Amino acid sequence: MTNTWFLYVFFSAALIGAGLYALLAKRNLIKLFIAIEVISKGVSLLLLATGFAKGNVLVAQALVVTFIVIEVSLVATALAIIINIYRHTKSLDIRKLAKLKG
Amino acid sequence: MIIQTALLVGLVLFSALAILLKDLLKSAISLAAASLLLGIVFFRMGAPYAGVFEISVVAGLITVLFILTIALTNTGEEVRESRLVNIVFPLFFVVFIIIDALVMKGLLQKIPALPSAPETGTFGDILWKGRTLDLVGQIAVILAGVFSVLALFRKRDKHD
Repeated sequence: MTNTWFLYVFFSAALIGAGLYALLAKRNLIKLFIAIEVISKGVSLLLLATGFAKGNVLVAQALVVTFIVIEVSLVATALAIIINIYRHTKSLDIRKLAKLKG
Repeated sequence: MIIQTALLVGLVLFSALAILLKDLLKSAISLAAASLLLGIVFFRMGAPYAGVFEISVVAGLITVLFILTIALTNTGEEVRESRLVNIVFPLFFVVFIIIDALVMKGLLQKIPALPSAPETGTFGDILWKGRTLDLVGQIAVILAGVFSVLALFRKRDKHD
């Protein structure tokens, strides 16, 4: 593996670390989802960087395109769920989701 | 290489800004800026299709979806975040970056390079012939997304 690969791994680890911290510490549902987006950016950067370092950019590119399409589907579904949660609880606070009432 | 590093630093900074900013709209826009920089990085790595997808879909469509959701949910009360979170984040991030750099420095030259065959053909060949199953999976996931959004937004019956 080349030294360039480690540079990309360094930056994608930084992105994933920042996203994981926000995922653990934040309380706003939309903010949590932004954190998931940051993590997914780190993952797609890592995928393409590994392909780039190995000289297999085309396969990595096909995987990244698949990843992006699935990400969009995930975002649409998750945001629809967030809007439904907001309609029920009138708030985006995750602490209010802890109250299970029959 | 310097331009690439600058783009990556900008990407990490905009992502950190998206997490740090209190205003949801501003954090969605800085997420879009981060996607734009990631798309440029993809272009420079010789992956134009991934770059186009990243810029048009992630920086465009997902940002629009985020802004739409923020607009639909902004009438309620503000979510009170713990103050400690935003104070601890820069500290955590700096410590994380230092540990990250030390680990990467330690790993340098220690991971053996696996043999890989050189690629032949075009992106179209690889995507349509080599990864056909992925495309079928993509179609299934998109359909699942469409049906789940339809199910979530369907009109409720009167007796519900």
